[in-house]
Amino acid sequence: MDWVRAAFFGGLIAYLAGAAAGVAGYRTPRLARLGTFGCALAGALLEMTAAVMALAQGGAAAWTVPFGVPLLAWTVRLNPLSAYFNLALGILAAAVSIYSFGYVRPMEGRRNVGALGFFYNLLLLGLMAVFTAGDAFFFLVAWEVMAVSAYCLVVFEHEKEETRRAGMMFLIMSHAGTGLLLIAFLLMAQASGSLDFASFHGLASTLPAQEQGLIGVLFFAGFGVKAGIIPIHVWLPAAHPVAPSNISAIMSGIMIKAGIYGMALVFFDFFSAAPVWMGMLVLATGVVSALLGVLYALMEHDLKRLLAYHSIENIGIILMGFGAALVFQTMGHNTLAGLALVAGLYHTLNHAIFKCLLFLGAGSVVHGTGTRNMEEMGGLIRPMPVTALFFLIGAVAISGLPPLNGFVSEWLTYQALLAGFGITPLLTRVVFPITGALLALTAALAAACFVKAFGISFLALPKSEHAAHAHEATPSMLAGMGILAAGCVALGLGAGWFLPVFDPITTQALGVRISPALTAAHGFALAASSAHAGTVSPLGIAGLLAALAVLPALLWLAWGRNGARATGAAWDCGQPGLTAANAYTATGFSKPIRMIFSALYRPRREIQAEYEVSPYYPTAIRFESEIEPTFEKHVYDPFRDGLLRIASRLRTVQAGSIHAYLAYIFVTLIILLLLGVRG
Amino acid sequence: MDFLQNPEFGDRVVTLMAAFVLVLQIAMVGQRSLVMNIRVFAAQSFLLASIAAAIAWYNHAPHIYFAAGMTVIVKAFAVPYLLERLVDRIEIRHEIEPIVNVPVSIVISGGLTLVAYLVGASFYHPEAEPRSLGHNTLAVAISLFLIGFFMMVNRRKALTQVLALLCLENGVFLAAICLTYGMPLIVELGVFFDVLVGVMVLGILVYRIRETFESMDVSKLRRLRG
Repeated sequence: MDWVRAAFFGGLIAYLAGAAAGVAGYRTPRLARLGTFGCALAGALLEMTAAVMALAQGGAAAWTVPFGVPLLAWTVRLNPLSAYFNLALGILAAAVSIYSFGYVRPMEGRRNVGALGFFYNLLLLGLMAVFTAGDAFFFLVAWEVMAVSAYCLVVFEHEKEETRRAGMMFLIMSHAGTGLLLIAFLLMAQASGSLDFASFHGLASTLPAQEQGLIGVLFFAGFGVKAGIIPIHVWLPAAHPVAPSNISAIMSGIMIKAGIYGMALVFFDFFSAAPVWMGMLVLATGVVSALLGVLYALMEHDLKRLLAYHSIENIGIILMGFGAALVFQTMGHNTLAGLALVAGLYHTLNHAIFKCLLFLGAGSVVHGTGTRNMEEMGGLIRPMPVTALFFLIGAVAISGLPPLNGFVSEWLTYQALLAGFGITPLLTRVVFPITGALLALTAALAAACFVKAFGISFLALPKSEHAAHAHEATPSMLAGMGILAAGCVALGLGAGWFLPVFDPITTQALGVRISPALTAAHGFALAASSAHAGTVSPLGIAGLLAALAVLPALLWLAWGRNGARATGAAWDCGQPGLTAANAYTATGFSKPIRMIFSALYRPRREIQAEYEVSPYYPTAIRFESEIEPTFEKHVYDPFRDGLLRIASRLRTVQAGSIHAYLAYIFVTLIILLLLGVRG
Repeated sequence: MDFLQNPEFGDRVVTLMAAFVLVLQIAMVGQRSLVMNIRVFAAQSFLLASIAAAIAWYNHAPHIYFAAGMTVIVKAFAVPYLLERLVDRIEIRHEIEPIVNVPVSIVISGGLTLVAYLVGASFYHPEAEPRSLGHNTLAVAISLFLIGFFMMVNRRKALTQVLALLCLENGVFLAAICLTYGMPLIVELGVFFDVLVGVMVLGILVYRIRETFESMDVSKLRRLRG
């Protein structure tokens, strides 16, 4: 018996059962909650098992499921790349399903839990189908199932105007992207004469140069909308925060990775060697997305929106790896390309895990305090210590600090970019160190941003009643986060043993096995494959950090036991009575960066003071500060206005008069007749 | 009585009657009374049936007699009767108010006839088919079609548009008969049934429009626009 296949279809059936449970439990929310998320958990575990087994086998498994309709056979393909993304999906879906048991519970009786569970299962099903689709037709169907169920989940709290606006924006941009994909797939199908992905393998590189460019750009833009690359990212910071937090976690963790999966599929399967400019385009887009993503994240005070901007940043980092891999591959450096590809793919999984963790943490915070505004939080580490710990682990991981998983993949990306300097011709030679430097800047800014996010939310004193009365998350929510936090640690410390997972993928895409070159000392350390590159051991760093923690204890044991001791409040400079008003605010913390990058932000601030007697004694001060939404103002608004102008001109054609319509037909007929006579 | 067997003579008879059909069509454009319009239509349909009968006689195609008979029954009697009853029932003004005034309409109809002859001529290849009956008839059929269409554009009331559609349909019938010497019977039956049902449905629709808008002026359908 084929266990991979059994597990795969078992998971599929579990998701379907979960969706059915959502419909069946329409009137019994408790049953709907347990049924839908229970089935989703079972499905996730089965899919994870299938993915792990498929990766262990290494070969490509493909089955065709006939639909009974001619031309509509559903081909499932579980090759190493699909299995890898399915593994990430399985881990996330399992953790989020466990989290949801507790998270969704307060919604019972107040909201439609059945619908939430139904669309949640459908979203997971759609994602799984996207990752495993073996032909273009089925891929696009799965893509739409994913997009539409995600839309329904985004507008779950549809009574809010903000939510509806965000949902509409998501829907429009998502479908525009699908339109581009459709054109690109049709161009491919025209060239191959089939819709099967197997027939697309390496095909794009055999086409004429213009067509190659067109197909590459169409795919890149189409998948880029879903991945949230700048400048087609605007739906992402709008839609992710307004969804329920467990959904945000899935969307930001894995749904945007569907775009990354699509790019990997196109660039490393459909293309055998993409043109160099395409690799450069991917690389440049990655750099811009990473840098602008983190810069906008720094200015956010909405915890979930901040995380959403970080998704853009991390997608940028992943694309840096991909872009570098493309350039290296075309130039014939397959080992280096393998390094860059592994960096990108590893960061995909890592980002999925820590971003999911952070969104779940943010969900717990919102759950406990009832607000998303960081300025109203503060001091949450006392009422919610476990959430704070998990959030901190996620924050360390996303900031790329050793020894957690974010560090490993960002380190690999650096190594790939810096190695590019040594081997490429002049123009690209200049590009690589610059991108490396910008990646460093991005990582530093990300660290600053998470110092802000963690410090303002969890440390200091509560800044509002909400924060003062916050409560800890329920055990199932903590369990969900705990799994992901453990994943962050394991993928960081155990990177050396995890890297062989990528061998089948790089073998298929580039024909090289990269993990032996990347691991040293039996997996205890990582080494970049090129000669003069560095070596690093996350486990060693972790050991050193642990030793550093022991050092103060030793010092205290040696000298401190007999010394004098005074206890007092920290930071009050001997002036007791600190209040929340003394604490750093998020706005204040990000002020230096707002000033340094004011050319980009174009900040606007307004201070209005009201006074009665003298300007020195104001009775009320109103302060307002905002940054300019550059892309909305300079790209999207003109585009929308132009579209509306054209539409209103065209509207005059639609007079609504039968005579006018008849006259159109009549005149057309006469002209066609006369043309026919002449021709 | 040998002219009864002479195809040349038959061609002339058919062309003459076709000319009358065209004249009646232009008369409909110029005629402002609704009831008169319906009666002119009935006369036109009767002439059309006669053309069909003549073609059947001179080409020894007996099944066209059936088409001719159906035309008389459906278009010369049943449809005009239904339409006149409808006019009585909905009590509208019996005067047609075209959008373009009558003299200009007639000039336009003349122009459309020219277009039709231009188009019809391109189908005429005397050297290839010496016995092609009445290329003039095809031109007339096309002008019936075009003028019928023009009447639909030009008239405000739904009922008069129904009438215009029927004239247009007459053009299609004439074209079919003179090009193919009659389509298969089942097609003919289908067409007639179609016309009858079409008129009934349109009659009901006109009645409903009148009920809803208290007018039959389709210009008022504008209000349905979003």
